[in-house]
Amino acid sequence: MAREGETSQSKIEVRNLTKRYGELLVLDDINFDVAEGEFVAIVGPTGCGKTTFLNALSRLIPITQGHIRIDGEDADPKRHNISFVFQEPTCLPWRTVRDNVAYGMEVKGLPQAEINARLEKILELVGLTQCQNLYPNQISASMLQRIAVSRAFAVNPDLLLMDEPYGQLDVKLRFYLEDELLSLWQKLGSTVLFITHNIEEAVYVAQRILVLSNKPTKIKAEVKVDLPRPRDFRDPEFVRIRKHVTELIRWW
Amino acid sequence: MTAYREVRVRTPLALKILPVLSIASFFFLWEFVVRSGIVPSTMLAAPSDVARLFVVKLTQADPDGALLQEHAWVSIQEAFTGYFLSLAVGIPLGLAMGWFVMAEGLARPVFEIIRPIPPVAWIPLTIFWFGIGLPGKVFIIFLGGLVPCVINAYVGVKMTNPTLIQMARTYGASDWQIFRQLCIPSALPMVFGALQIALACCWTNLVAAELLAADAGLGFLITMGRRLAMPEMVVLGMVMVGLTGAVIGVVIDCVEKRLLAGIRR
Ligand SMILES: Nc1ncnc2c1ncn2[C@@H]1O[C@H](COP(=O)(O)OP(=O)(O)OP(=O)(O)O)[C@@H](O)[C@H]1O
Ligand SMILES: [Mg+2]
Repeated sequence: MAREGETSQSKIEVRNLTKRYGELLVLDDINFDVAEGEFVAIVGPTGCGKTTFLNALSRLIPITQGHIRIDGEDADPKRHNISFVFQEPTCLPWRTVRDNVAYGMEVKGLPQAEINARLEKILELVGLTQCQNLYPNQISASMLQRIAVSRAFAVNPDLLLMDEPYGQLDVKLRFYLEDELLSLWQKLGSTVLFITHNIEEAVYVAQRILVLSNKPTKIKAEVKVDLPRPRDFRDPEFVRIRKHVTELIRWW
Repeated sequence: MTAYREVRVRTPLALKILPVLSIASFFFLWEFVVRSGIVPSTMLAAPSDVARLFVVKLTQADPDGALLQEHAWVSIQEAFTGYFLSLAVGIPLGLAMGWFVMAEGLARPVFEIIRPIPPVAWIPLTIFWFGIGLPGKVFIIFLGGLVPCVINAYVGVKMTNPTLIQMARTYGASDWQIFRQLCIPSALPMVFGALQIALACCWTNLVAAELLAADAGLGFLITMGRRLAMPEMVVLGMVMVGLTGAVIGVVIDCVEKRLLAGIRR
């Protein structure tokens, strides 16, 4: 499994990605690469098209122009292992916590023995083992989002897309879940694209930050975050990067 | 949940006494109006006469040819055959129409044309086709139950949370997987709602069908009462339709609660 630092080969290639809703040009000729096992954060002003961007990457919506390749092939949810953690919790109310986490693996048709093995591991990692037999309406909102995150990691995705997954949660819990996310990522080696409007969060989790412009959206800047982990948000270097990204966003 | 349940609203005393009072005075007034001759007894039977006939009809087949419980049993058989047929056809059809474009495109226009035709309007045709036996009435009842089944199942599927569908799509789920794993469970509460509504429709249409084409059943009892100029028999038939329908409703309600409790928490 890929570790931090081993980011050589290009896993995802996005070329000339353009998206229009009728006359409205939202994504304007976007190009970037993501290496295998990399953790990339995407920040940008409200309404600039971040959700559109992820929906296009996961092929939930058709793109107007350009292409997205995973391992050199056109992205396709049926062929590639893509996971998406949505802004709102997406648990199936009629399934237990355990069966919710298993859902993605079931769709992929993994053998039951493999599903069980992965479930044991993941549930333990995110601390859901105790409540694995409860139903979603019996657990707290933060746990719902953890189910979505575990379900996403459980399929060993080629690409994990996260759309402001922790936007609704309070600061303390967010730090906790971000650490949990990072440890999952480090242990399982997935490639992650993480959208947020919280700059501190972006600097805390990402190896690289893509800063988007206002509509029509382009990538305005790319910021490398080369800090040791665990990161400390009071560290002067951390603060410098955070201010730098803030400036980039405020700049237009 | 439990916190809410613990808050009990006490039934005010008035709501305990008034219903008893209202029913008692209803029957008293009814009895009085007929006994005193304000309404001639050829037009309306007194409740006491109806009660007497009820007891008599439990053991005596004359003058309409069958015991009361036999009439009720015929009606229940017809109603439930038609009811289960309408569930078996309507629910899968509605579910499929809610998700598969093919099913919606093909079945919806025909359904929309048939839907506004009251099932009773089919009676003459069904007499041509089936005569006045069980199949014809089952067909009418089936048509009556079909509409709510299709509509509820259809709406239930349409109410599936679109984000859940997107989530499943990103994992590469096929249309069939999404239908089975997301749409059907999402639609279940609406489908259970249809059980009650369809039963009410079936029961209403049963009586209509029996009024026009039957040789036994509670609706037939009502018709015979008219032909024999026995108002007490007409009223007895009506009361039995109401009582039997209410009992069935309570039973279905219990079954539904059991099923739902097993499926959803
Ligand atoms: N289905 C659609 N049809 C037309 N326009 C759309 C559609 N979806 C999004 N848009 C437009 O595209 C732009 C980008 O929307 P998007 O939801 O991607 O923004 P966002 O960056 O995710 O915003 P936020 O930060 O609020 O989540 C918006 O101006 C929106 O009005
Ligand atoms: Mg958004």
